[in-house]
Amino acid sequence: MDPEARQRESRLLKILPYLSLVAFFVFWQLLVDTGIVPRVLLATPSEVGKLFIAKLTQAQPDGAVLWIHTVVSLGEAIVGYLLALIIGIPLGLLMGWFVVAEGLARPLFEMIRPIPPVAWIPLAIFWFGIGMSGKVFIIWACAVVPCVINAYTGVRMTNPTLIQMARTYGASDWQIFTRICIPSALPMVFGGLQIALALAWTTLVAAELIASDTGLGFLINMGRRLLRPDMIVLGMLMVGLTGFGIGILIDWIEKKLTAGLERGGSAS
Amino acid sequence: MSSQAEATLGLNPRVYQSGLGARLWSFFHNRYVLYGLSVIGFLAIWHWAALHSSIAKFLPTPAEVWTEMVRLSGDRLAGKTLWGHLWASLRRVLIGFAIGLAVGVPLGLFMALNKYVNAVVKPVFDLIKPMPPISWISLSILWFGIGEESKVFIIVVGAFVPALINSYNGIRLVDPALYDAIRMLGGNRRQELLQVTFPAGFPALFAGFQIALSVAWGCVLAAELVGARSGMGYIIILGMKVFNPAMIIGGMVVIALVAGMLSLLLNKVEKVICPWKRELPQ
Repeated sequence: MDPEARQRESRLLKILPYLSLVAFFVFWQLLVDTGIVPRVLLATPSEVGKLFIAKLTQAQPDGAVLWIHTVVSLGEAIVGYLLALIIGIPLGLLMGWFVVAEGLARPLFEMIRPIPPVAWIPLAIFWFGIGMSGKVFIIWACAVVPCVINAYTGVRMTNPTLIQMARTYGASDWQIFTRICIPSALPMVFGGLQIALALAWTTLVAAELIASDTGLGFLINMGRRLLRPDMIVLGMLMVGLTGFGIGILIDWIEKKLTAGLERGGSAS
Repeated sequence: MSSQAEATLGLNPRVYQSGLGARLWSFFHNRYVLYGLSVIGFLAIWHWAALHSSIAKFLPTPAEVWTEMVRLSGDRLAGKTLWGHLWASLRRVLIGFAIGLAVGVPLGLFMALNKYVNAVVKPVFDLIKPMPPISWISLSILWFGIGEESKVFIIVVGAFVPALINSYNGIRLVDPALYDAIRMLGGNRRQELLQVTFPAGFPALFAGFQIALSVAWGCVLAAELVGARSGMGYIIILGMKVFNPAMIIGGMVVIALVAGMLSLLLNKVEKVICPWKRELPQ
């Protein structure tokens, strides 16, 4: 291929993603404007944008301005998520290295793991009410699973050569665990954090759809009750954007913490 | 820790000692003894908590849950027994899962193999990806009503995302050394695809299927909790409305069993289809 054609190709590849996004929004707008999809079923992007600006200052018709919904949802998600990290990661790490910890915790964990987090919602409402603590419990129950699995797998994937070397130099079990297994498990642990985050955020929306009085899930639910598709789409977009933002934050923390731990070319 | 792990990680010297202490030690370090202890301990604590703790009113004993499950499998709720409801949920999961894979996998493959398709699809997909599938429920009910279609739609959305991500990444991250090898051996583009790209990408694809399956179960339950006349989610939400926690927990147990078995089945299928996948040291 001659250099000019190659340059043209790379320019095309750079422009295409933007074109595609623009086409997506134009198509969406036209779909509703031309009446192919009735206006009660889908809002146009411009309506969603207008509502976004209006909701920044105005509490009607769902009782709170947009940022209060976001902050309430974020608060519940973060508390449940942190509790899941504090309990799940040490548990998973210990399960990976100590026979007794694994033997005692594994069967319980295997029993609870296949239950979809959403199924905990009614019980959580019974036990903790529809306030903050019920949602924190649900998020904890769903986020703890990937934390444990990934911490466990991370320890199990420790390079055996490193462990043998440490043993040869007379390291104790505990020293091997803290100095070798935990650092080498870190990339997997962070993978688990990302998964847990996505799950926590999903489950939170479900919990708020079923029982709440503020939060982004509540905003979406109110949109359905009031037949306001623009409100539904706005809620969905806010949920998506916030989740995306937290994902980037975790990526950044991971890069800071695991600098120098890069495994040769591994993708996880 | 299994024998293989012990062989690589180094045996504990106490295994070789004799005497009562050592025998007790090795008894309590036997995997299956510990598993048994753990399950018995769990049921005992549950039973105790159901009788004495502060949430005892909302926590039935394990025996009560069992009786309730037996009762449900005979009685009809909204015209269906427990098995009827289970089949209603399972059918939605299977249909949605199949459609999700049928859409997600080819799209992911094309995105990985062709940079133009990737440039067009990726930005739109990145926009949709971070939205939890459950947040589509409201829109879906608005579009399709509370019938079968709206539930299947949510499952499709939920299953399609991990299927696409994993097929895309699985194919994209194939070890380039494998391509070098087959090119050096004179393979053409078709052979490259069939003998390197797909076999090397399959394990990642199956990992995506597992995620998609568990997401699908979550979605079907959420959809049924919000509005349905059948399905396991209906049983759970009914248990909440009539104030019967045994019914809720019974429903959760059935879901856990079925979802666990489906995921095991998928694992078995994976072992048959791609036996070359490397396992974690157990």
